[in-house]
Amino acid sequence: MINFTFEGEPISVEPGTSVAAALLSHGERITRLTRFNSTPRSIFCGIGVCFDCLVEVDGEPNQRSCITTVKEGMVVKVQHGS
Amino acid sequence: MEVRYQVIVLGGGPAGLNAAKYAANAGYEVGLIDAGTRLGGQYWRHTGREEFDQSVHHNFDQGSLLMDAVLANPRITVHSETNIWSASIINDEVVLRTNNGAFITQRLILATGAYDRSLPFPGWDIPGVMTPGAAQSLLKGHGVLVGKRIVVAGTGPFLLPVATGLSSHGASVVGLLEASSKYSWAKNLLELLRNPAKALEGIGYLLALRGRKVEMRFRQAIVAAHASADGSLESVTIANLDSEWKIRSTYKLSCDVAAVGWGFTADTAIAYSLGLALDVDASGSISVVVDENQRARQPNAAIAIYAAGELTGIGGADLALVEGAIAGLAIAGSAQDLKTLKKRRKKLLRFAQALTKVYPVASGWKSWLSEDTTICRCEEISYSDINEAREEFDASDARTIKLLTRCGMGLCQGRICGRTIADLMNSTPQERISSASRPILSPITLGEVAQEGLL
Amino acid sequence: MSQSPDAIVIGAGIVGATTALALTNAGLKVLVLDRGSIASGTTSAGEGNILVSDKEPGAELDLALRSRDAWFELADDIGGGFELEAKGGVVVSSSGSESLRNLTSKQRDSGIDARDISSSELWELEPHLSRSINVGAYYPQDAQCQPMLATARVLQAVKQRGGDVVTGSEVLAIENRHGVVSSVVTSRGSYSAPVVINAAGTWAGAIARLAGAELPIAPRRGFILVSVPTPHRIFHKVYSSDYVANVASGDADLQSSAVVEGTQSGTILIGASRERVGFKEGIDYSVVRILAHQAIELFPFLANVQLMRVYRGFRPYAPDHLPVIGQDPIIKGLWHNAGHEGAGIGLAPGSAQLLADTILERHSFMNAAPFSPSRFSTVSSS
Ligand SMILES: Cc1cc2nc3c(=O)[nH]c(=O)nc-3n(C[C@H](O)[C@H](O)[C@H](O)COP(=O)(O)OP(=O)(O)OC[C@H]3O[C@@H](n4cnc5c(N)ncnc54)[C@H](O)[C@@H]3O)c2cc1C
Ligand code: FES
Repeated sequence: MINFTFEGEPISVEPGTSVAAALLSHGERITRLTRFNSTPRSIFCGIGVCFDCLVEVDGEPNQRSCITTVKEGMVVKVQHGS
Repeated sequence: MEVRYQVIVLGGGPAGLNAAKYAANAGYEVGLIDAGTRLGGQYWRHTGREEFDQSVHHNFDQGSLLMDAVLANPRITVHSETNIWSASIINDEVVLRTNNGAFITQRLILATGAYDRSLPFPGWDIPGVMTPGAAQSLLKGHGVLVGKRIVVAGTGPFLLPVATGLSSHGASVVGLLEASSKYSWAKNLLELLRNPAKALEGIGYLLALRGRKVEMRFRQAIVAAHASADGSLESVTIANLDSEWKIRSTYKLSCDVAAVGWGFTADTAIAYSLGLALDVDASGSISVVVDENQRARQPNAAIAIYAAGELTGIGGADLALVEGAIAGLAIAGSAQDLKTLKKRRKKLLRFAQALTKVYPVASGWKSWLSEDTTICRCEEISYSDINEAREEFDASDARTIKLLTRCGMGLCQGRICGRTIADLMNSTPQERISSASRPILSPITLGEVAQEGLL
Repeated sequence: MSQSPDAIVIGAGIVGATTALALTNAGLKVLVLDRGSIASGTTSAGEGNILVSDKEPGAELDLALRSRDAWFELADDIGGGFELEAKGGVVVSSSGSESLRNLTSKQRDSGIDARDISSSELWELEPHLSRSINVGAYYPQDAQCQPMLATARVLQAVKQRGGDVVTGSEVLAIENRHGVVSSVVTSRGSYSAPVVINAAGTWAGAIARLAGAELPIAPRRGFILVSVPTPHRIFHKVYSSDYVANVASGDADLQSSAVVEGTQSGTILIGASRERVGFKEGIDYSVVRILAHQAIELFPFLANVQLMRVYRGFRPYAPDHLPVIGQDPIIKGLWHNAGHEGAGIGLAPGSAQLLADTILERHSFMNAAPFSPSRFSTVSSS
């Protein structure tokens, strides 16, 4: 199993799991808050096209959770704005 | 890093896999580039660890054989997790710049597939509303169910396997809504029966769903989504539609996921960057123009660029396989007779064309929009922002609207809302084609762009 | 609108729009024509810089200084709405302080507020600037606007005040009677007016030829890089003083020095290269590379910021880098307001005022002679 954190909470998943799949299977539905209206967003297209599922990974914003594979020790956060 | 191949195939779905296989078998060194972690594309997406389950993976046997053949072929080098950020032609060669260096060739096969077409409606930006492709890719690729109470809606044959997969994995599909009419099939029966295998596949899904008490409701669509206090999806408003898709009556249904899709759109940005001739059909869908050998039209005679699969017109996996095979053989100048393949392609093409007639998108969806409906998800541009620009400045074309409102200027670069804006503004085919221009195909850090030796 | 307005403006870019407004405000009935939609030429490819800092003393700087103030007057006149902001410019030098200090001193003599600043002041203005850069100047007058919105707002005011804008009408011929302009034939009908203004930017040479005149305006290609939206970390327009030399260069080869700034929507713009390669389509990624590299030299954090878009424009370029403002030497009634190269947004309202004053024979804020269209014919006939 691979361990990472989302908003400080530890989550373990099978190797090869995308961040989006890991979050959804743990009931986490919101990946980011938009930069103008702060409305919540989540996975939409599932295949890297729409850029709605953005999260902050190890301090880098704008990472598409649906095509980012979870790695050991990753620190994932909700992306606030940009 | 710079790598040269005799043939480069872009895309590891059915079309690209077959293209790579046939080109390699004809004696060429092939580089197969795909953005994903595993081959298979959208159709044969898999977790890489499961016992395959035919309810989500139709024809997976065929797929795993093909993937194994490609992986085992010594003439094919697979480059996964490789994202192209720009493409251009320099000194009679195609240069594809990626996160893993530049890939260079004089023979390129584009097989980059398609993604779900979305239409805006009030609340389509609420977490829990997604495309059927998203629900499908999480299930196929990760074995994750996106929700417990799911409504699958929109139009097109793809809704059936998605609903079947979700329901057989334990989700309760509380609604399966097809916006087109029940009789749509009947009107095109003749064409459809030419391809009995496909028709049977559809009937198989319907029967499986009926066994789980999921009935398809026709002429219905989700016209609004509603959020709970935490901001995620709680319920949807469903409408009975008239033949133009205007709302006749509505009812509400509670659900935690709405998977809504309206057919597919191909991303023609790479094709545009490489100067390929593009075409727009009556539905506004853009495709790469190809000849009978799948060769695309472009001015440089030293270079051969072919396209196969959804990029040349939405037609499904079987057609993609055949087109991939033709492209692979033709680009290699193989002496093999293509007649049988071309005959099969013709049959599948006719079926694909019949399908687009069965599942047309009617213009009534525009009447579902309210003033505060988001149109551009990235830049948070609402329908009223667009209407204001239209009225205040007499802006009558999509490009002007885009520059005035920033609609379509966000991270997805109009991949999601571009077609919608083109429809709202009645864009000409030429305008639709030029809106496919995206010189930066996917975001890349400036540090990587600044690297020495970039071509 | 009738087929015979008082003045016809060809080109609905920023120069055409501001010219139309200046004439409308003087009481004329103006018709603006464009073959595309509004700002479909170079204006929508411009960054919206309104700079006084990047010009050597001379006629263009005088025009720029007046034009900068004219932008703010124009905003008051039509009620703003185009993101006009006196953001201030920071010019840095990595090749010692002497040339930059010389430039600021000359600029001050021309009435520019150019302040020599210490390295600590520099880093205070731009905390994320590379610490290897320690020489700078601050120009509080440098400003910016959103050129597309500006054009749309200005043309909206023209219409509200009795003028008209016809887009999608390509000018096919400009007829004259005995050397006096008589009518403009477009793809959507013919119009006549005693005053016809060529504000066709990079295509102004072609318009001049349609009228039987000549204007040596050529394209100078430029690319602009746009980052993904990021938190605000760049607060002014920041560029290297090499830029001033590049702007003035007559060399056809590539010149590039990054001008970096943050926008209100959160993106960072990195402009702009300069090349004379004709109307060359496509993107040259080696130029994109150089701009990215130069931007990172100014702001190292940019190395980790993602590039989202690149776009291209063709600046209208005259051999001596000065705009062409005035009446055509051969065809009477044909006036030019074009060739503003990389500064057409900044120079637009000043140029519009100067041309309107000249047409209406009013006293103006400066002598228009340095911009006269006849300057080219004198050269070629001698
Ligand atoms: C990369 C880049 C960055 C720039 N950045 C800045 C900046 O920061 N600040 C600044 O001040 N300037 C900048 N500029 C320069 C500025 O954009 C131009 O100087 C300015 O837009 C010129 O305006 P214009 O109205 O003369 O031309 P245009 O905006 O090109 O307008 C000319 C119009 O004429 C029309 N036309 C042409 N032929 C015909 C015909 N036959 N019939 C009808 N209509 C016709 C065209 O469709 C067009 O709309 C930049 C330019 C580039 C390329
Ligand atoms: S869900 Fe669309 S990019 Fe990830």
